[in-house]
Amino acid sequence: MSETDTEGRRLATDARDRVRFEEDALALSDQVYRVARHLVRDREEADDLMQETYARAFRSWRSFTPGTNLRAWLLRILTNLNIDRGRKQQRSPDFQPLEEGDYFLYNKLEETSDGPTDEERVVERLSQDDVVTALSAVPHDFRDVVVLVDIGDFTYADAAQILDIPVGTVMSRLHRGRRILKQAMAESAVGEDA
Amino acid sequence: MSEIPCEHCEQLMQPYLDRVLSDSERAEAEAHLDLCSYCRKRYRFEEHLRQFVREVAVGQMPPELKRKLAELRTPLL
Repeated sequence: MSETDTEGRRLATDARDRVRFEEDALALSDQVYRVARHLVRDREEADDLMQETYARAFRSWRSFTPGTNLRAWLLRILTNLNIDRGRKQQRSPDFQPLEEGDYFLYNKLEETSDGPTDEERVVERLSQDDVVTALSAVPHDFRDVVVLVDIGDFTYADAAQILDIPVGTVMSRLHRGRRILKQAMAESAVGEDA
Repeated sequence: MSEIPCEHCEQLMQPYLDRVLSDSERAEAEAHLDLCSYCRKRYRFEEHLRQFVREVAVGQMPPELKRKLAELRTPLL
């Protein structure tokens, strides 16, 4: 076989692998967007970030190891870009809210309801707006973890890898982030006195 | 009443739902939930809440963005 033939085959294989990678990445775009949308402030920002993420992913597709978690790989690019875009400058100072326990939201919704209700009905007192508003009120570092685990369905280990932080930090931020989220949902659903 | 107090069950609730408790911790939480209607109500609420947050925190990708992402692919020669 001539050198030209060998080179031709290599190029064909390379092109096939690249096209497959691009198709796989695009097939995951809805799932990536769903997470991206809640990592940033608004839709425009999410749209820009998605385009930057996919442009970078397509350029550096060779650094992806086939067989590993492509969705996590894409989200890692996205969160790094989000940080590069200057998010760290907007980072909240150490957040020390009055933290309530895990039962706080249920207790608050139950005590402000008209009569006895089952647990499902208590959840129904929350609206989509309550959740979305509350999520945006959670400081970035905590929100990233809550969004990846509770909305993106990533494991603690995946979230740690995406955010480049230890698993223990994921766990502590998740614990705190969920409590802050519940407190914000209570404020949104019940009022300022929550 | 079960052996662990409600405060301890409350602490175990999130890791229980995340399925990251050890076998013995899970058994403790389940034994408490079997006997304590106060915590059981709150456990069911937490389950529904997680599902609700996942459902409503949607982000439907605009078709225009989908098209733009597809255009970013490397053109075939």
